[in-house]
Amino acid sequence: MAIDKKFIGKTWPTMVYEVGKEKVKEFAKAIKSSNPYFLDDEFAAKSKYKTIVAPPTFAVVFGAKLIEPIFFDNELNLNLAMLVHGEQEFEFYDVVKSGDVLYSDAKIVNIENKEKLDVIAIEILTKNQSNKEVCKGIYTFVVRK
Amino acid sequence: MKTLDAHNTINIGDSFTVNQEVDKYRAIYYAGASGDFNPIHIDAEFGKMVGLGGAILQGLCTLGFTADAITTWVSDPGRLKKLKCRFASPVRMGDTLTIQGTVTEIQGDRAVLAVTVKNQDGVEVLTKVQAEVEKG
Repeated sequence: MAIDKKFIGKTWPTMVYEVGKEKVKEFAKAIKSSNPYFLDDEFAAKSKYKTIVAPPTFAVVFGAKLIEPIFFDNELNLNLAMLVHGEQEFEFYDVVKSGDVLYSDAKIVNIENKEKLDVIAIEILTKNQSNKEVCKGIYTFVVRK
Repeated sequence: MKTLDAHNTINIGDSFTVNQEVDKYRAIYYAGASGDFNPIHIDAEFGKMVGLGGAILQGLCTLGFTADAITTWVSDPGRLKKLKCRFASPVRMGDTLTIQGTVTEIQGDRAVLAVTVKNQDGVEVLTKVQAEVEKG
């Protein structure tokens, strides 16, 4: 069944995520990074950031906290077996540092019904503990029919 | 790969190339780190059942490799300001990806990069890749 366009604009409650240094390292290793900004405590302490910072696409880790309830939303009823990630867009406004507390909000910004598939785009905007925007991600998923 | 240091200014024509091997367990490592345990990534049988011909790597892992290639090249991860792509073709365990970036344009304090990400057969797995970094 097609995804109803009436869900454009739907939002979910704010998710809070505290950035842990070891989680950042784990993520950096998963993308096979060797960048000392993400992995080396001593290097990071001497850097301009003074601490371990997260790789830019670590945004998906705190983003996932919102993607999950959207995927399992009863109203939306997405067919996950037929869902693939179509497109991704990120704007990075500020680096994410270990110890940051991040507040993310999600909103459905687009739904398209095509003959063989539906497209759904979700925007996740994240601010840090200083109320500064750190990242905006637009996740576009394709659901084959 | 030659990396830039914090004081380097980026110019049109500057480029980098990185090869990335997608080992057998990469999707599982990425699932653990990212939380994306969709069975299409970690269960080959499930991937076959839904018509994908096996397990496919999380698109965001490929984009993570790409972001890492760019941020390693510019040294400071804070210099990456924008990254966008379409997940055009599946990446499979055992693939070798080649990530290439070239600065095509300078817009104010930003350098615009043309980026390609291809597998060992020359297939572009990410398309419409747009990246912008601080020029420095």
